[in-house]
Amino acid sequence: MILLYDGSFEGFLSLVYEVYYEKLHVNAIVKKMPETLLFERFHEVFTDEAKARKVLEGIAKHFSKEQQRTICNIFLCDTKAHEMTLLEYIRIGFKNPKELRNITNPSLFYIQNLEKELLSLVHKMYGFTRFEELEDGTLYAKIETKFNIVPFLGDHFCKRLGNIPFIIHDIKRSLAFVKNDDLREIRSIASFDTPTYSEEESHFKALWKSFFKAAAIQSRYNPKLQQSWVPLLYRTYMSEFEV
Amino acid sequence: MKLTTEDKLSILAGSAKYDVSCSSSGSENNYKTGELGCAHNSGICHSFTSDGRCISLLKILLSNVCVYDCAYCINRVSNDIVRTAFGPRELADLTINFYKRNYIEGLFLSSGIIKNEDHTMHLLLQTLRILRHEYRFNGYIHVKLIPGASKELIEEATLLAHRVSSNIELPSSKSLALLAPDKTKEKLLSPLKYARDISLQRSAKPISMSTQMIIGATGESDFEILKLSASLYQKALLKRVYYSAYIAVNNHKHLPVPELSKPPLLREHRLYQADWLLRFYGFSYDEILSENQNLDIQFDPKTFWALSNMHLFPIDVNHAPKEILVRIPGIGIRGALKILQARRFKQLNFEDLLTLKISLKKARYFIVAGKDFYRATSLYTEKIKLALIHQGSNIIQPSLFDMSIYTGEL
Ligand code: SF4
Repeated sequence: MILLYDGSFEGFLSLVYEVYYEKLHVNAIVKKMPETLLFERFHEVFTDEAKARKVLEGIAKHFSKEQQRTICNIFLCDTKAHEMTLLEYIRIGFKNPKELRNITNPSLFYIQNLEKELLSLVHKMYGFTRFEELEDGTLYAKIETKFNIVPFLGDHFCKRLGNIPFIIHDIKRSLAFVKNDDLREIRSIASFDTPTYSEEESHFKALWKSFFKAAAIQSRYNPKLQQSWVPLLYRTYMSEFEV
Repeated sequence: MKLTTEDKLSILAGSAKYDVSCSSSGSENNYKTGELGCAHNSGICHSFTSDGRCISLLKILLSNVCVYDCAYCINRVSNDIVRTAFGPRELADLTINFYKRNYIEGLFLSSGIIKNEDHTMHLLLQTLRILRHEYRFNGYIHVKLIPGASKELIEEATLLAHRVSSNIELPSSKSLALLAPDKTKEKLLSPLKYARDISLQRSAKPISMSTQMIIGATGESDFEILKLSASLYQKALLKRVYYSAYIAVNNHKHLPVPELSKPPLLREHRLYQADWLLRFYGFSYDEILSENQNLDIQFDPKTFWALSNMHLFPIDVNHAPKEILVRIPGIGIRGALKILQARRFKQLNFEDLLTLKISLKKARYFIVAGKDFYRATSLYTEKIKLALIHQGSNIIQPSLFDMSIYTGEL
């Protein structure tokens, strides 16, 4: 059977509920109805808060804090078809929580690696995210990343930027983390105008570029090594790489 | 001619770049609500320059004016170069503005000697005071201790900075006397010792400290260099020793000629690998090298050690403890941890190791895993050497070996 759900975390938990209580036999989980003709039964799961909460309570009871975090983290790896593996992870955990550490099980090893990949992306973006100062002093960063790491970045910069309001805008996912005084939230962004930058912004950008150039040692020139650290993919919003 | 901020920044960052220390790691999370900046316990790289080195800190000199005449240094008094300086406030403002935009993790401040040692240290501290007290900046700060500066100033530096350092510069007193007549090993190390002692009086953990040695400007062997590093680590004086392949910038009768010399990058790489063995894998310097020996060019230090100690192999990956696992060529800390985790569930064979993404290219000659061992090459040093050379796994891709400063992992 193929299951269809809306892609939200609550939706996924509702799906887990139905799989358990209606004993569904799942072959695939999708977020969108495929356009090709399928010769398999289809079932649409509707997001249901009560069901989701029930599953969540079960997870809280059976899984360690660290494993609960793993579940959330894997869910943020939204460009990978992670649902089946995650379902498998939850199944194993309900049956025998000790088994979850067994990395000789391919699904569990896959999950461990996927989580590592997510966390290493997060760590990279702690460094590679660039803010620009807007007219009113708000700091504004645009990002495009393989996985949804907006929640991580939001937390990280709340600790760093003190009282300065800031926005981290995930362009592809149309999401933004917004911090302003006491407000901190993730919002979906339908459309946005080109922002107006502060007067000083271009000055500091220029200074940063000269620093970046001056810090390189000519006799050790090694663009290949540079690229292995900062693949082109990451450079879109890093002003030092603008030509 | 009046220099713009941009010119000054280029000159003073350009003069600071030869200091390789870049790390901003190992600091406590020191977050305070409503204040700017917070250090992170694993270092964060904000960009990488075209030579592939990490930019983590605004690494800069307050001034490139210097009254000393160290032969290897671009800022020595006898060089005819443009001299300039930032004011403490100017530099503090620059730091804050770079930090806000997430260009940097913090500041790495050093300076040539302006007038005298105390005067210079004063100016450095003035910058730090503005940042810490006025701007309430909690981001990472690394400051150079000016050798010869008075004790109160050094103490204040340990209060304001996350890390302090003083560069040993050259691996022996003889070389120092030859090339940096104003400096002695004692003079360079004493601020570090003092900083350690004074910070230990305040808390159980001394302030983090590092140093740097220039490699290849003078004739010391790798053995001497590693021995020195090991002794500095042992006394818990330093967290990190950095090695910097000598880049010839000046003509001097005791130094390699600039036009003819290339920085010895491979040697620097091997030293970082050996240093890693000292710090993380429990090797002692005299296990890695014997008197006056240099590190092997063909094989990395761990493989070289294993080949010279074949009586300790093969190692059984299903039973060896962690300290032994990390001594297997080609298996690092991460590989060892995966093995430890996985073998609780089953006895591991070669295929299991491969599914765990542990490369056996080098390791297979040195291990047994269940019934598996590498049959094609018997356990004779020469045969393994040939096999390793043949497969080319010993040859480092020159484009990538600069990675070693950050990992050095083998
Ligand atoms: S004291 Fe420092 S800046 Fe001055 S010449 Fe010596 S190494 Fe260069």
